[in-house]
Amino acid sequence: MSKLTIAEVSKAFSTTRAVDSFSLEVADGELVCLLGPSGSGKSTLLRMIGGFETPTSGEIRIDGEDVTRLPPERRPTGMVFQSHALWTHMNVFNNIAFGLKLRRLPAVEIRQKVEKVLDLVGLAGYGKRHVTQLSGGQQQRVALARSLVLEPKILLLDEPFASLDQHLRERLREEVRDIQQRLGITTLFVTHGQDEALALADRIVVMRDGKTEQADRPEMVYREPATPFVAGFIGSMNLVSGQVADGVFTHSAFRLQVSASPGSALLAVRPEALDIAPANAGQGMAAIHRVTDFGINAVVDLSLPDGTRLKANVPDARAWQVGQPVDLVPRAFALYRDDKILLRS
Amino acid sequence: MTSGSESGTKPGRGLIGLLLVIVPVALFAWMTVWPILSGITRALSPEQPDGTRALSISNFAEFFSDPYSLANLGVTLWTCLVTLGLLLVICVPLALYLRFAQGKLATYVQTMAMFPMFVPSIILAFAFIRVLGPNGSVDLLLNAVGLPKIRSPYLTPWGPVIGLVWDNIPLTVLILVSGLGSVTNYAIEAARDVGARPLALFWYIILPRMWTSVAVVVSFTMLGLFSAFTLPYVLGPASPEMMGPFMQRTFGDLRDPDMALTQATVTMLFCVAFGLFYVRAVARNRGK
Repeated sequence: MSKLTIAEVSKAFSTTRAVDSFSLEVADGELVCLLGPSGSGKSTLLRMIGGFETPTSGEIRIDGEDVTRLPPERRPTGMVFQSHALWTHMNVFNNIAFGLKLRRLPAVEIRQKVEKVLDLVGLAGYGKRHVTQLSGGQQQRVALARSLVLEPKILLLDEPFASLDQHLRERLREEVRDIQQRLGITTLFVTHGQDEALALADRIVVMRDGKTEQADRPEMVYREPATPFVAGFIGSMNLVSGQVADGVFTHSAFRLQVSASPGSALLAVRPEALDIAPANAGQGMAAIHRVTDFGINAVVDLSLPDGTRLKANVPDARAWQVGQPVDLVPRAFALYRDDKILLRS
Repeated sequence: MTSGSESGTKPGRGLIGLLLVIVPVALFAWMTVWPILSGITRALSPEQPDGTRALSISNFAEFFSDPYSLANLGVTLWTCLVTLGLLLVICVPLALYLRFAQGKLATYVQTMAMFPMFVPSIILAFAFIRVLGPNGSVDLLLNAVGLPKIRSPYLTPWGPVIGLVWDNIPLTVLILVSGLGSVTNYAIEAARDVGARPLALFWYIILPRMWTSVAVVVSFTMLGLFSAFTLPYVLGPASPEMMGPFMQRTFGDLRDPDMALTQATVTMLFCVAFGLFYVRAVARNRGK
């Protein structure tokens, strides 16, 4: 059992609070993605778990043991860095075996463990290669193998695929997920790529300004974002601020019946949940600004009379022309007030 | 379509390149290669009683059979090795600190480490005499508190060592810090992550990456020390003396240019060895 507990952890750099009273429990074998924009504190949090930064306050426990003040070399964690951080004066075998050698394991056991982990990451037979002779993807596999060979209780991955191309990134994240599930290792994965988080995670923690915005299963984070920030950060989202009066949300010509108390509100509608229909009469709620055909579907850019832009996904581009007046019919939407959910439909 | 002149070498380019390098190459040949060849030739062809010159190694035989010359060569090698050892002992920790420390203190330390670069050797020598020489500042301070005088290193083999160490600190630190630039913070953190403590970190991660810089320091310092003149001349003992003052005295005071050239050739052979060491270190680094 390897459980990670982060309790009220904060980290301040001079006047900036990079992480602010952050708490999280990661269950044994769970893969949690820390997702957020640059500067949201996700990497700082990961580095605190790895022991490379010391929290200003709070506590980090692994299987109940307080590791908050332990240096990295004494923590049961393994970290994979964004830049691979391989030692270029060593070959693949020595890069992976270094940690085992420091633990003074017998040479035969070291060889067996290294060969096993090389096989696990799909690099069997690469031991004698120099790391500079490997591709970016292979180098990242070596970095992963270097961490896995020590059988850490917690695996930490800090944007490990950020420097790789899209195709390789997709392939490697599937492989990482397979390996993680096979080993059942508790894993924290930092990324600013929402697709990566949605594809990999058992749970996503969306961070902003060092705090948790939402921590939930990927489908919940996508379908039921807790705050306007999460709504805007995950996937494509139309965000329209307006007023609710007499059960009607209004922004420019866009009107929508809602069961909400009067006052200002922010409407969130995903493009795939926004239907459009030819205007019944006159100008309609919006005009079509552009139609982009992707073959399997199309994206219609809409312009409200005040210039606000929205997007709607439609199955067939041919039914819509630029300049055509349309009415907007959200099938599913959320309404936020003061950064909190007001209504979900 | 790409024309040949665009994709390949333009006609006449080789000639322009040759013209650009011909001046420095000619100067090098005239001011370095020619004097070397001429000096070696003269050292190997001593003047015979009848005034002619004949090929012989008698000058070298004389040098290597003369106890005083050998003592001078010995003290030069001793000074070089001790100075180099002290430089590495002082400068490696200093360079490590400057590479990994942050903040104002590191900036001050760096400024102080570079300071000797701006002090001419002759001023350094006289400052040394005023501080560590007989009746210098240290002696005066000790006397003021009723303590006995120090045994001054002035005019002992340690005099040039102290001066040369001080003089060579900036270049050594610069070369080592530059070498440490290839050790990334991520590489250090990755090593700590797999369990490396400070000593293992230095031995297995940092040292292999700065080995080329250490090799460059060794060769540069040895080359510089062998040709050192001012500090050994002013601070060193009269006998035995380092090769620099020895050559000058043989040439100027004893008016024996052939023997001075022989001493220079012997000195050059040692320098060539360290030069080759430098070339090999740089070539190995490029090959990686």
